[in-house]
Amino acid sequence: MRLSKYLAGSAIAIATMALSANTAYAACATDGLPSSMTKPDGYPARALTMVVPYGPAGGSGQVAQAMAQAVTELTGVAINRDHKPGGSGTVGMTAYMATPKDGYTVLEHIDDASSAHALDSTRPNPADDLIPLVTSQITFSQVYIRANETRFTDWESFVKWVTEQNGRATIANVSKEGSMERVTMKFITDATGMQIQQISFDKGAPRYGALAGGQVDALFEQPGDVRNFLDSGKFKPILTILKERPSAFADVPSLSDVALDFDPLFRFRGFYVHKGIPQDRLEWLQWAFQKAYCEESYQKYNESKFMTLIESFRDTEGSRELINTTVMQYRDVYKAMGLEVK
Amino acid sequence: MDAFNNFLQGSVTLFSDPINILIFLGGVIGGMLFGAIPGVSMLTLAAILLPFTAHLSAEQGIMLFSVMYCTGVYGGAITAILFNIPGAPENAPTAFDGYPMTKNGQAGKAVGAAVMCSALGGVVSTIIMMAATAPIADWAISAFGPPEIFALVFFGLAVAASVGAKTFWKGWLSILIGLMIAVVGLDPVGGIERYDFDMPYLLAGIHFIPTILGFFAVSEIFVQAEKKVRGSYTAPKLSVDFPSLSELLAHKFAVIRSIVIGFFCGILPGIGATLAAFMGYNEAVRWSKTPEEFGKGKLEGVISSETANNAATGAAMIPLLALGLPGGALTAMMVGVFQMHDMQPGPLVFLTSADLVWVVFAAMFYANCSILLIGFLETKTIINLLRIPFQFLAPLILLLATVGAYAVRGLTIDIVVMFLAGVVGFFLRRSGYSIAGIVLGLILGKIGEQTFAQAMQMLHFEWSGFFDRPIAFGLLIAGFLTLCGSIYGAFFKKTSAPSSTGSDSPPAPPPPGGG
Repeated sequence: MRLSKYLAGSAIAIATMALSANTAYAACATDGLPSSMTKPDGYPARALTMVVPYGPAGGSGQVAQAMAQAVTELTGVAINRDHKPGGSGTVGMTAYMATPKDGYTVLEHIDDASSAHALDSTRPNPADDLIPLVTSQITFSQVYIRANETRFTDWESFVKWVTEQNGRATIANVSKEGSMERVTMKFITDATGMQIQQISFDKGAPRYGALAGGQVDALFEQPGDVRNFLDSGKFKPILTILKERPSAFADVPSLSDVALDFDPLFRFRGFYVHKGIPQDRLEWLQWAFQKAYCEESYQKYNESKFMTLIESFRDTEGSRELINTTVMQYRDVYKAMGLEVK
Repeated sequence: MDAFNNFLQGSVTLFSDPINILIFLGGVIGGMLFGAIPGVSMLTLAAILLPFTAHLSAEQGIMLFSVMYCTGVYGGAITAILFNIPGAPENAPTAFDGYPMTKNGQAGKAVGAAVMCSALGGVVSTIIMMAATAPIADWAISAFGPPEIFALVFFGLAVAASVGAKTFWKGWLSILIGLMIAVVGLDPVGGIERYDFDMPYLLAGIHFIPTILGFFAVSEIFVQAEKKVRGSYTAPKLSVDFPSLSELLAHKFAVIRSIVIGFFCGILPGIGATLAAFMGYNEAVRWSKTPEEFGKGKLEGVISSETANNAATGAAMIPLLALGLPGGALTAMMVGVFQMHDMQPGPLVFLTSADLVWVVFAAMFYANCSILLIGFLETKTIINLLRIPFQFLAPLILLLATVGAYAVRGLTIDIVVMFLAGVVGFFLRRSGYSIAGIVLGLILGKIGEQTFAQAMQMLHFEWSGFFDRPIAFGLLIAGFLTLCGSIYGAFFKKTSAPSSTGSDSPPAPPPPGGG
């Protein structure tokens, strides 16, 4: 069976997997792909370059390193990571768009690229202007409090306490204009009627330190990023921003449990290549990156980041669907928020 | 006593395995070498080595990174002193006095002081780290939020305005130029685009490393080239005279003060060694009886800066190990090393992997001690680089600086920024503005703007909120008193403005204010 046909079939299968929790994924998504693939006309004849629009130490830098390692383990082809941080991913995207369309340069990017396009359609659309090779991390967010907090202990008492503070309660997040965090917080505050001051920390450590040190009352974050605080019992999740409870957080209420009726937004990270590269090179890259997703080292990394609680894998078509849905969702919200959508 | 026994046990584990010893030595030497090359810092080495740590044990991986951290911070001092090229931003204040000392024929003394003070600052902070990691980390994150850090930055800027400029106004204008450069790009809180002129690369902001390389290295080459053309160039005098014990003892208060400042800055997540070095230097100027000598080759300037930046290294490990909060890029990479071995830094590490923690503590202690040994051996040889004639050395420095500027983010615009800063710096230095002030404004401006916005959000946009936070309030008062002292010194006290040496000659700074 030709790879493209297999991928098309797998896209349909994956697309039917809902972003729901409590699903066991014993088998890995691309186990069915062939274990090796002949290099088309000797491609790649040299190392690939991966443009990463963020620094090496953050979530994007780490996933880029893990995927590059997995692809190299699988294919023997080295991948050099070229970090171009700044401008919330804009600098890396701009630099990538200027690289040759020869299949030797791939891009790592996150959902920020989708929200940036939703706000300003002159920015590249990752689903149309690029070809997604694989989405390898999809995760949800939670609201955390300190485990030894006494003013409130769960979501219900938290909402009550915040409401009593008349806007003086605080939550740490990345509340840049139009960010996933700010949009989700708008959903929550609109639905509950509570007012809460969002404090924007663009780096993880000061953000987590702000909650641990009592500088803020709560934290909005993804579970993989605060795993050590959860494991050590310092932070306690009080709301999972998913329709259903994932098994790892069975005791934490989900949106349905607290009567919050909105479609959750996800943080996702994936890998892309230029539109217009030779078809045989595209197919090889799709195979390499999708198969690498199931390499032991990559799966181990994803598990350590709580990235296996919901299905993290999307192939090319699945990624396009995810991006297009996300763009439409953001666009609707931006209009409702009164932001200028170009 | 338990801590001492644990330290001994960690030392035994470290030195009983030849592989551990090899990794330790590799980290010490690698950190020093990469730290000495501008732009291509210890971070570059760390990024290269990160995937390979998967093949090491967790102890070996973390130990390698922590050792590189200690020696890398020191390594940049050598090029800062000899060629006015800080290997890393935290070595920039070292160049303020280190390079003039080289020009005065005191290179050996400056490098020797850097070696001794780096080792001392690092060792002391490692000992404090071993003694009280958990309680210090808990105190730091609860006592220091964005309002306190903003107040600290304000205080730092108020002091910095008196460093390196000919007049009060030129000092503050220099700071303001730095602050202005700092606002280019996305604003750190709301993500609003500023001064990008529709150039996407400017959205990333002006990075301080190419700016430092331009203001320091490139403009210095222009200055020396001009002297060469005019026939007034004199090669630096070569000397390997190390500072005597009595000279160092004479600066014991500067050392103690810088250790406190460096340690304190190091434990604050996201602040680290750069602010430590600048604050250490600023305080040295503020407390000095002869502040007008700073910037002309005063040993205390080198001592204060190098003690403070190495004191920050042990301190930065405290929030990382006790809370899982990395203070900077290298400690963030250490989190990656932990994760590769299915571990998470944080309180559980002390319970589940106490052996690892103590091997790391012991390795950092010995790495700082080894700075002393290897530093002196290295100094004897590296100072001979000054024998290279200027016409050969200048292109090499330009090449290194260009590579360093580009290596930070892989952006061509950083090279443009570096050369622009070089040209601007060349003219500004003639007109009595402070290069140090501009760099300080740029570095502290980025931290200050972010923490100010966060502080105002936390305080619900009410200034009076600062009054309810004693530490923030105290630091703001100290900053205002320093500012008043500057104004008093500038307008009501007769001082003779010192002449520029072509580097960063400070004026007669104001009397210390604000305790």
